[in-house]
Amino acid sequence: MTRSTLAPNRRFLLATLALAATLTASVSALADTTLRVFSGGANQRPDLMRKLFDQYTAKNPGVKIDIETGGATSDLQRQYLSTVLNAKDSSIDVYMIDIVNPAQYFGAGWLEPLNAYVGEPAVALKPYLPVYASADVVGDKIAAMPAFADAMFMYYRKDLLEKYKLAEPKTWAELSAAAQKIQKGEGDPNLQGLSIQGAPIEGAVCTFLLPYWSQGKDFNDAAGKMTLDKPAAVKGMKEWLTLMDAGVVKKNIAEVKTPDTVNEFKAGQVVFAVNWGFAWDRFSQDKDSKVAGKVGVMPLPAMDGGKSATCVGGWQWAVSAFSKSKAEAAKLVKFMASPEASKYLAAQGSLLPTIQSVYTDPEVLKASPWFKDAANVVIAGRSRPQSERYGEVSDAIRTTTSAILARTKTPEEGVDEIEGRLKRVMR
Amino acid sequence: MNAPSTWDRIRDPSEKTLAVLLLAPAFLLLALIVVYPIGKLIWNSFHDLRLSGGTGAVKFIGIQNYIDVAHDKDFWNAAKNTLLFTVITVPGALVVGLGLAMLANLPFKRRWPVRLALLLPWALPLSFVGLIFAWFFHTEYGVVNDVARRLGNAHQTMWLLSPGYAFAAICFAIIWKTSSFMALILLAGLQMIPRTLYEAAEVDGASKWQQFWQITVPMLMPSIIVALIFRTITALQTFDIPVTMTHGGPGNATQTLAMLIHATTIDYLDVGYGSTLAVFMFALSLCVTAVYLRRIGRE
Repeated sequence: MTRSTLAPNRRFLLATLALAATLTASVSALADTTLRVFSGGANQRPDLMRKLFDQYTAKNPGVKIDIETGGATSDLQRQYLSTVLNAKDSSIDVYMIDIVNPAQYFGAGWLEPLNAYVGEPAVALKPYLPVYASADVVGDKIAAMPAFADAMFMYYRKDLLEKYKLAEPKTWAELSAAAQKIQKGEGDPNLQGLSIQGAPIEGAVCTFLLPYWSQGKDFNDAAGKMTLDKPAAVKGMKEWLTLMDAGVVKKNIAEVKTPDTVNEFKAGQVVFAVNWGFAWDRFSQDKDSKVAGKVGVMPLPAMDGGKSATCVGGWQWAVSAFSKSKAEAAKLVKFMASPEASKYLAAQGSLLPTIQSVYTDPEVLKASPWFKDAANVVIAGRSRPQSERYGEVSDAIRTTTSAILARTKTPEEGVDEIEGRLKRVMR
Repeated sequence: MNAPSTWDRIRDPSEKTLAVLLLAPAFLLLALIVVYPIGKLIWNSFHDLRLSGGTGAVKFIGIQNYIDVAHDKDFWNAAKNTLLFTVITVPGALVVGLGLAMLANLPFKRRWPVRLALLLPWALPLSFVGLIFAWFFHTEYGVVNDVARRLGNAHQTMWLLSPGYAFAAICFAIIWKTSSFMALILLAGLQMIPRTLYEAAEVDGASKWQQFWQITVPMLMPSIIVALIFRTITALQTFDIPVTMTHGGPGNATQTLAMLIHATTIDYLDVGYGSTLAVFMFALSLCVTAVYLRRIGRE
């Protein structure tokens, strides 16, 4: 065979190969959108999210979802995400973010507005608890969609309250009296009356706000301007110190972080404990829990003459402004924020729903009967100040709160300091 | 003879060209990873560069950031803490490190356990050390209070919740962690000192104390200076241990400059102001290094 006779054949073969390659490439481009999702830390249950993602990919062949998990606390996750997003990293398409972050991230131009994909805020966020409609909307843009809710609850030892024939306390003063009666009756020097979070972590922001809010005061107006009522804030912090002097709250409370409260309550060393919703599962299901079946949940006490209020938390799904597959990412977010997903998370992991109707769903209530009580607490819950500069707001409040509880600052000095720092930030 | 063509010049460059060519890669690398970031840092420090809560635009604001820093109570507090940590932990680590080095230099039968013990703190990541010592000094679960209680002291000291104790606890942790590095450098120096010097001193009737001050210390001086430079620069950058032990608390009693810079840029996303703070820290390190280098130059 000569070279010339082979040439046309070879050309044909090459052309066919090239065509085939092009076709395969375009088909696989259609078939495989890989979405990378940052799915929070272990407390945000990436295992359950994975199952939901699998449900989604089963219905949407051609989409693949990779999951990335992050630090254990909201602070650690915020630091990581700030670094990634600041670098305009396009490798992550969808982020799970804490309720306090949408305003800051959206303000920085890191999040894709979702209006074009899920509709206008008034309609798209209507089924959700009101607190999320305000936290996830910046101006008239939807910065994120709710994933699941969380709130600070007051857990208590049902068995001990029954033993001493005490009713659920409605005010902090009643709580103090009840706790002291139990502590005295039990005679155990290690039994704490009340455990709150005093270490300079995100939870300490709530520790500051709870007694303040429960006097019917606001920390900020709708526009985000600070409306701090200093005497009320001082009174709130003094309430904690009074409880400490009475021996109800332990002296080193400024060292206590969220997991410390959980572990100490679980070990039966605490009568009343303020903590997030995820703690319920730890108390009732952990093998080393000594209090399973003895735990009750109630609304947080108020200050005398005030109204119970709690701190709402929770997690949101947001689409990165730097994602290369925004439409696909938004579609996934829409699914993850749907009532079905919310119901699944509530029934499987007792993650609190963000949608009001799911709280009364019989299937969900069968799995987590305590949601009946939780619903009222969450619906009445309030959100921490929404600010584009939330990092500074949080830092000022938690650092000072912790210092007041460590008694290195008086409540008056501390509140002055918070006002001084945030006057410029929240205006 | 013809004038050399371009090709010839490339094939056979002059001494000067060759020098430039050979230095170029190193210079480029240095420019890329040292000069550019420092230049960018200084450029940032003259701008309003807030990633969040600002206008979004990068605006030249002259020395406004520098004026703000001068009036910033947090900056002065952090600068004071940083200098205090440096002044306490650098000599502290030197003294402890010297002791450890001399101990390791003793004619043991088996030296490796001593040397291993020396290496161990050095090999631990800083944040581990911070977490370990945070646990150590914890009011209820800590070893320190547990020992105190067993010795009959029922009062529980809240080490990390009082500004003075927290500061002391962090200094303790830093000295524990860094003295092993000091000891390693000093041990190398000690082994260079000829045995004969001590033998001669013995013969002349010098006491051990005199031998230490007249032979060991002067002969060890170059190693001491090197160790001090490294230690001082890392001391000015103290970050990991206070972050993990107290997170700067109580209040901001143990916040260092590096922690303030981190909070400003990463938590508050205020890159312009954070850069200005970093310029101050850079200048501080530069001054300290210059002092040491002059001292070396004199010798």
